[in-house]
Amino acid sequence: MKCHRGQLIIILACLVVYSCTIFEKDFDNPVDFEANEEKGIGAPTLVFYPKTQTKTTSDSVIVGSFIVFNEDSTKPFAGIHLQIEFPNTLLELDTIKPGLFITDTSNATPLFTYTFDSINTIDIYAYFLDTLKKDLEGTGHLADLVFNPTSTGSDSVSYDLNACEMIDHEDNIIVLKGDRGAEVIVQ
Amino acid sequence: MKKLPKYFLFLFLGSLYSTNLEPTFLVLNHFDKFLPNADSSLIENFSNSTFEFDSTFQILFEDIDNHENPAASHMVTIKELGEKYQVNYILFNRIEHINDRFILNGLLFNTRSGGLIHRRKIDLKQYLNGQINELNMWVGNTVGQVEKNWENNRKSILFSDPEEINYQKTPRGAAIRSLAAPGWGQAYSGKKISAGLWASTESSLSIAAIISFLNYDKAAKSFKKNSKLYHGTNDEKEVANYRTAAENDWNDHVTFSALAIAFAGATGTGWVANSVHAWIVGPRAYKNLYQKWDPKSPNTTG
Repeated sequence: MKCHRGQLIIILACLVVYSCTIFEKDFDNPVDFEANEEKGIGAPTLVFYPKTQTKTTSDSVIVGSFIVFNEDSTKPFAGIHLQIEFPNTLLELDTIKPGLFITDTSNATPLFTYTFDSINTIDIYAYFLDTLKKDLEGTGHLADLVFNPTSTGSDSVSYDLNACEMIDHEDNIIVLKGDRGAEVIVQ
Repeated sequence: MKKLPKYFLFLFLGSLYSTNLEPTFLVLNHFDKFLPNADSSLIENFSNSTFEFDSTFQILFEDIDNHENPAASHMVTIKELGEKYQVNYILFNRIEHINDRFILNGLLFNTRSGGLIHRRKIDLKQYLNGQINELNMWVGNTVGQVEKNWENNRKSILFSDPEEINYQKTPRGAAIRSLAAPGWGQAYSGKKISAGLWASTESSLSIAAIISFLNYDKAAKSFKKNSKLYHGTNDEKEVANYRTAAENDWNDHVTFSALAIAFAGATGTGWVANSVHAWIVGPRAYKNLYQKWDPKSPNTTG
């Protein structure tokens, strides 16, 4: 009887202790400048969202391209050049759509064009033109890249930061301090 | 030489007279409750002795223990009383009742010397005619005349064999009750205040533990929800808001987790301590053990 009572007390104590599990903080959204800073990636940063996605071969893979600023140190910009590389053994390019951030509230697309080398490199050029504003400021959506899976496997889409460029309306370069790729898993 | 036979005759008659002389007592009874047959019982049971009764000296012997030499504390008064009442002894009997017990304090003084020659203090549970019976035994001891049935009367309430004692309440019973419900064991032992304290303390700690756990659970669920929303959006404002909310939830769930564990630990420790306390203050044998009075037992007291 004493043994059972002791076991009961131990079980209750374990229940109390283990039922109060402390969860791990996992803040790793690429659009979150704090999460990027915690990983040692400075702002402004070029990122993809989502950072990882799993699709089947019949699905489309949509990767969003974003510019992320620290909200305390944003810099106005007017134009951007993105060079993106993707695994052509896994994906083929389907479409590239301008992001909401640079189309402005009128949903117009002032200047948005891209080139594809037919292998695995995409160059996107976007320039913000508006009747009232000269610049954009803050974190925002630049483009959506739509791919079709060609085989199964996993690989990543990434920026070539050396080739990427951001300028203000006076053609001054704004230094990009980091980038984050996106992982694509095709099953 | 002619006077010698006359001297021996006086001596013989004197000694004969003195050996047959009944001891005479001045009895000073001081009872906090009226005992109707106390005086008559002494007269009936000790026919070889002569008793005078006077209850006006109530406070005379109250302070006897405060004297450096209690036996010689009232020598002058005793001698004076002896001469006044023409008695050999003064017997002071005081009976006090405390709850279901009574205390008999008996003092026997010799009026020739004025000293205290015999003393008895008895603390007993009340039994039927117990006060009279104890008074008889006390006086019987002083005059060397103790009847067997008086002793049997007293023995009738005492357990002769400890094996026959059936403890209705035990420390173990108190401990088990307190383990089941804090304070129950103390209440079972008649410790109402500590029972209330334990019950309220354990209740408060338990409620605090439960409230902390519920808050922890709420914060943990909210943290998971906000974390999911945080990862599920690419809107910078929503990301910032969900992150702030999730971080607040995380801090809350850590705080409430610590509180829940602390309160639960305190509750558990207190629970065990309460059981141990119940065992310590549990009901135990106190002074004399008495069995229930058997009305069929012969009552031979006055």
